[in-house]
Amino acid sequence: MSRRRFGVWVHGALLVLVAVYSLFPIYFITVQSLKTPEEDVFGSPLYVVDPTFENYTELFAGAHARVRGFVIVPTVPFILWLANSGLVLGATVVVTLTTGVLAAYALARLRPPGWIWWRRALFATYVVPHTILFIPLYQVIIALGLDDSHGALVLIYSTMALPFCVWILSAYYRHLPREIEESALVEGATPARAFLRVVLPMSRNVLVAAGLFTLGTAANDFILASIFLLDPSKQTVAAGLGVMDVSLEELLAVAGVNLAAIPIVLLCAAFARTYVHGLTAAMVEGA
Amino acid sequence: MTASAPARRREILVAYTLLAPALLLVLGVLAYPVAWEAWISLTNFGSRAESRSFVGIANYRAMLADAFFWRALATTFVYFLVATAAKLTLGVALALLLARPCRGRALVFLAVFLPWAYPGGVTVVAWYWMLNPPLITSYSVTLSTLKHALDGMLGTGAYAFASVALFNIWRGASFTAVFLLAGLNAIPTELFDYARLETRSVWQRFRHVTLPLLRPFMALAVFLSLTTAFADLANVWMLTGGRVVFPVVGTYAYWLGIRNGQFAEAAAWSLSLVPLLLLALIGLFRWFDPPREEPA
Repeated sequence: MSRRRFGVWVHGALLVLVAVYSLFPIYFITVQSLKTPEEDVFGSPLYVVDPTFENYTELFAGAHARVRGFVIVPTVPFILWLANSGLVLGATVVVTLTTGVLAAYALARLRPPGWIWWRRALFATYVVPHTILFIPLYQVIIALGLDDSHGALVLIYSTMALPFCVWILSAYYRHLPREIEESALVEGATPARAFLRVVLPMSRNVLVAAGLFTLGTAANDFILASIFLLDPSKQTVAAGLGVMDVSLEELLAVAGVNLAAIPIVLLCAAFARTYVHGLTAAMVEGA
Repeated sequence: MTASAPARRREILVAYTLLAPALLLVLGVLAYPVAWEAWISLTNFGSRAESRSFVGIANYRAMLADAFFWRALATTFVYFLVATAAKLTLGVALALLLARPCRGRALVFLAVFLPWAYPGGVTVVAWYWMLNPPLITSYSVTLSTLKHALDGMLGTGAYAFASVALFNIWRGASFTAVFLLAGLNAIPTELFDYARLETRSVWQRFRHVTLPLLRPFMALAVFLSLTTAFADLANVWMLTGGRVVFPVVGTYAYWLGIRNGQFAEAAAWSLSLVPLLLLALIGLFRWFDPPREEPA
């Protein structure tokens, strides 16, 4: 009995440790972003005594941004950037899931000749490091007429997330019993209808997993964003604030991305469980 | 289901039609850039070359003759190896910890999920501020002492290198843990119940039951982490404005291309990792996706 209790305590203590380890960097940088310049120099790195939201409010000041000390705070169209980010991320998820579901269904259910190799080939493209390919990528984007447009990012982000999404979606569709669709077909539904009404709702969890993976992958990038979006009115938060040197020592950028992260964190919190369920569903029977 | 030949033919046509968007997207966007890199690596293309001409494998030969390349390759290996081992160990530990039901588990799970889900722009800066703070902060002195101590012991750049690895491990272990947790859930519980009867110690159970069952998922997780290991390096490189140069194949290629305009050499450098990645892929498919023919 006492050994069991001890075990429970150790487990609990480890969980607390894990939570602290996971959250500490985020906590840490948030603390720094709330500090006044004086506290930055003389305060403690671990907490903030006299928090100021200057870095955050400055983001919304627009053209009226003040000059702080000797630092000229860049004026940023933050709300516009937020909207752009939302647009790009949303479109990326939609494009990835649509193309991914169609491909996964074709691979796993219709099984054209050589489907195993198509599936592997798609997955293999995951190893291509987009970040070092950007000179030829830029040529592709210009050839497609997507220069300085959100479409460029949507296209590139989709190709980054698609291999994994097709992989897990097709793994799931692969061991879904045939009878599920067949009963719908017997009742007179077309294959497309059977898919939309029966198979797609069943794969809800896997879809969420694929969608969340896409979101996380796209939201993590800021190199491609700052390379492909140069027009400030079209930039996303990542592109606008991730401008190299500025972001390192400028806490305004941290504040900006922190704010932009809130919706993403909320989405993740809402769907985290479904994400795991979806991955599990795709992995059952060793995929 | 035995379909008649024409029906099957139609089905195959439909299959390719449905596949087309994804293939067009991925191969359409990536085929040209990859081919371009391959072609450029065989020329002398660069911002200083007067005209572009074909030079065969000269760039590769020069690269292989460069002692720096081998050092960079060794560092890359060490980086991948250390980061992957750490991510895997942490990932398995965290997944096992989270798999056991208890109070507050949902919250801790969320915390574990966040390092991966949080936009990289913030977390890179967070790690940078933690480990390489700007001169003005109150803890700068402590950390620079640590930095010099480490650099003195292991050579210049060791500290910067360690900080990148730490960032990648922190972020990657989060993904691995959640991924392996899903894998653990996919293993039928009866197997664990049976194992509890058959094995004597927790360690035995872990070694002979949990680990082998998790192995295919671990293979996939390792593979996925290989690619993010590189992306994270590039992120850090970019964020530090190219100031922190790691002697790693990927970032050096970047540096050659962007800073020096030696596009051809950069292409050769970045393609030098392809054979290794292909090997990893073959290994992965063996582990994870054995080409067994299933009853259709």
